[in-house]
Amino acid sequence: MAEKKDVWQGTLALMVLKTLDTLGPLHGYGIARRIEQTSGDLLAVNYGTLYPALLKLEQEGYIRSEWGVSDNNRKAKYYKLTRAGRKQLEREARDWEKTTSILARFLAPGEETS
Amino acid sequence: MRGLRAWFWRLGSLFGKERHEEEFAQEMQAHVEMHIADNLRAGMSGQEARRQALLKLGGVEATKEIYREQRGLPVLETFLQDLRYATRTLRKNPGFTTIAVLTLALGIGANTAIFSMVNALLLHPYNFPELDRLVRVWENRGIDEGADTRFIAPQDAADLSSGAPVFDALTTYACGDFNLSAEGNVQPARGCRVSANFFDVLGVSPASGRAFSLTEEQPGADQVAVVSYGFWQRQFAGDAALLGKVIQMNGKRYTVVGIMPRGFDYPVPMELWVPLALSPAEKADRAKLSLESLARLKPGIDVAEARSAADSVAKRLQQEYPATNANRRTEVLQLRRELYLYTLPLFLLLQAAAVFVLLLACANLANLLFARIFGRQKEIALRTALGAGRWRLARLFVTETLLLSCIAGGVAIAVSFWSVRVLRTSIAPSWTMWVPGWDGIQVDCTVLAFTVLLIGTVGLLFGLGTVLHSNQAQPYNTLKEAGRGPMLGSKGRLRSALVVAQVMFALVLLVCAGLTTQAFLRLVDVYQGFAAANVLRTEVRLPEKSYPGNSQVANFYDRVLRGSASLPGANAATVVTNSPASNVDNETTFFTIKGRATLKANESPSGDLQISSPDYFSVLRIPVVAGRVYSYADNANAARVAVISRSMAGRYWPSGDELGQQIKIGAADSKEPWLTIVGIVEDVRQNWWNPASRPTIYEPFFQAPQRSMVFLMRVSSNPESYASAVRDVVRGIDDQIALTGIGTLEREITDSIAIIRIMGVLMALFGCVALALSSVGVYGVLAESVARRIPEIGVRLALGAEPRDVMRLVFGQALKLTGIGLAIGVPIAFAVNRAMSSLIFGIVSINLLLLAGFALLLFGVALAAAYIPARRAMRVDPMAALRYE
Repeated sequence: MAEKKDVWQGTLALMVLKTLDTLGPLHGYGIARRIEQTSGDLLAVNYGTLYPALLKLEQEGYIRSEWGVSDNNRKAKYYKLTRAGRKQLEREARDWEKTTSILARFLAPGEETS
Repeated sequence: MRGLRAWFWRLGSLFGKERHEEEFAQEMQAHVEMHIADNLRAGMSGQEARRQALLKLGGVEATKEIYREQRGLPVLETFLQDLRYATRTLRKNPGFTTIAVLTLALGIGANTAIFSMVNALLLHPYNFPELDRLVRVWENRGIDEGADTRFIAPQDAADLSSGAPVFDALTTYACGDFNLSAEGNVQPARGCRVSANFFDVLGVSPASGRAFSLTEEQPGADQVAVVSYGFWQRQFAGDAALLGKVIQMNGKRYTVVGIMPRGFDYPVPMELWVPLALSPAEKADRAKLSLESLARLKPGIDVAEARSAADSVAKRLQQEYPATNANRRTEVLQLRRELYLYTLPLFLLLQAAAVFVLLLACANLANLLFARIFGRQKEIALRTALGAGRWRLARLFVTETLLLSCIAGGVAIAVSFWSVRVLRTSIAPSWTMWVPGWDGIQVDCTVLAFTVLLIGTVGLLFGLGTVLHSNQAQPYNTLKEAGRGPMLGSKGRLRSALVVAQVMFALVLLVCAGLTTQAFLRLVDVYQGFAAANVLRTEVRLPEKSYPGNSQVANFYDRVLRGSASLPGANAATVVTNSPASNVDNETTFFTIKGRATLKANESPSGDLQISSPDYFSVLRIPVVAGRVYSYADNANAARVAVISRSMAGRYWPSGDELGQQIKIGAADSKEPWLTIVGIVEDVRQNWWNPASRPTIYEPFFQAPQRSMVFLMRVSSNPESYASAVRDVVRGIDDQIALTGIGTLEREITDSIAIIRIMGVLMALFGCVALALSSVGVYGVLAESVARRIPEIGVRLALGAEPRDVMRLVFGQALKLTGIGLAIGVPIAFAVNRAMSSLIFGIVSINLLLLAGFALLLFGVALAAAYIPARRAMRVDPMAALRYE
């Protein structure tokens, strides 16, 4: 149980960081929507699980939060990438690419000729 | 790094929890509202929009819970929660809490106090760098059996230093009293003549000024002195300009060149040090063991290696110098252990007894806690039924017991600051100043760490014990039986076992107390063969400079003896080389019997040598067995005579023809004069540790005068009051002579076994505590068992049992528990007795009557403890009791 959550939180954190990198400061709802849209129906999770992940990222200093006003004049908490967060994003993205490329090569059928 | 940052954040979040909650609620609120707005824009109905938004968000409460856990530190939060809960429960049961805290505080406090002694005396007796490399080195002549002299001959020490490559450096010293003249007064000072490398070997250098140089080891160049910090403060009022000043000692002028750092007084309790300047003849001496020696081992060399290296040097010397060194062995002993040959077992035993007390206290607490668990079974069952896991419950219990032990530990530590001081000052300084590390007995960091460790261990163990015990609680059964009292069974047996263990511990502790008290009384009794009452005692030391020859020395003491004997109320006065109970062994010597051929030095008979003035035997009332004791007529001009002790006569003249025989001190070739044996006196025990009286030769003082003597005077009453009169007599003869250690001989005897006395007192204290604790234990178990058996008792009474039968039931249980405890305890007590008597001098087999007395005492205490529960059982109302069923 704990393991599964960690994996999910790890990727979720990367998605959050990437979203904030792309879209700039954004509130929790916006981040959730964006992740869902980008991933299509593949990631149909509860939006609620996003918030502990956001808090963890904030505690680790990768994002910062402040209260702001949304497009339709609602008070909302906006999350923003910090410099440390940007670095972390680059690192994580690199790691992720490495992992996926290794896995891709590993799983690619019938290419082990030589 | 990130982890640490997050941790601090989370720690910070423990505060202002409500604000955080509210903020998160607002954030959720905003989230839902935005989602609804989007859904509405997507064309949903208001209700559907809201439903979808909430569905998508998931369980709000679950999210909040996860969020909360991420925000704070759940472990810490539950701990704080548990702590609050534990505090509340403890406060709600003040009776339980008080007894538990006091019991534990007693156990922990006893251990803290004893450990503070062990810590100071055994672990940190000296403050020297790399203490474990320092060893004492001395020679054993093979004739000193039972004696405790640790000296070495100067030339042997030099050979050892150069011949055994295990020593970094070896130093020699010789201690004695100095007469310090200051402002017209003469005061005694404890001083030591030391080799130039003495301070280097110890690894301590003067706090100001310098130590001695090699050139100051030459006779004539040696008039420099280093003083101790304490002496500097006391004697010179901390005079900042003391260095370079001249002090007058033993009629010579010494320039102060150094002041040692605070606390340095090796060998305890020295006040000053001067160079050991030996003449070439003295240096080359092998015959007389005149110096003490101390060495620093090379790094990596252990004591066993040092011992074998020293041994091979000793063997070589045995062959090269058979006349002096035959049978002579070299001993090497770690400095740390040297002084504790006799007292180490005492402290280990005390520590063991303290641990016993703690175990007793723990058994008691365990009983109380288990009783409480039964009381709380319903609560536990309810918690389990509501989903509290084992781990969660365990944490609750551990928190509770830890809190308990922390409070108890706090009390114990607070009290120990006081009790340890009482312990330290309970023995006369005149005795404790000879015990290295005694002044260091205090509650320091090591002691506190020990106590904290103890507190933690006790708390954790109890918590875990409680957890294991409560795990059997079945929520279903317990809740079902809610109407009745909790059912026991195996737990009742466990508690009975604890009481049995308590009775056993109590018996063992009482036996230990009895043994030490018995030993103390026996040791006081050891000094038989003389009468110590009404005797004043003091030490006198004449400086060589003003008393170079025998006639001056004899003349001085003659005048002192005449002057003091003529004081009103004085019966007789005498001087002797070593008075009984001095805690110093007599000088041991070879002697030769005329007409009995002895071949080698090492085959000569040996005995203790005492030199005394004629009235010694009448002052101490030592009975004359045969012949006569010497008189003032046996002076320097008369024929040389000697008196011997009864055991010496019995050993060397079994046929009883000793009177008129001649002996001489030393081996057959010695130049000493022949002494005619004129009388036999009763044996006198010199010190408490001597297993028996040793053969002793008494020589008349006026035929063999010595500069250092112990003055003894018998008066008709109140010996202390003669101190100043004796001082005046001495001052009237020579105002440069100081008297040291003036006091009564009886006091000297009690002081000499003070350590055994304090141990007896502590043991007796522990024994009483043990008795009290075990009676509380018996009471607790019986009270609980009576409460549990009330329905049963009700049935019995209803069926016609007399109240007397019920009472017998309860008392019977008390007797049974105590009986089993004693049955187990007696063999253990005997085993402990055997161990103690092999470890500690003076302890013998337990008096069986005493053992029976302790057993009866324990039975009595158990019956007394059973009285209240028994009365309660007798008063059970059958109707009321049965109604509960």
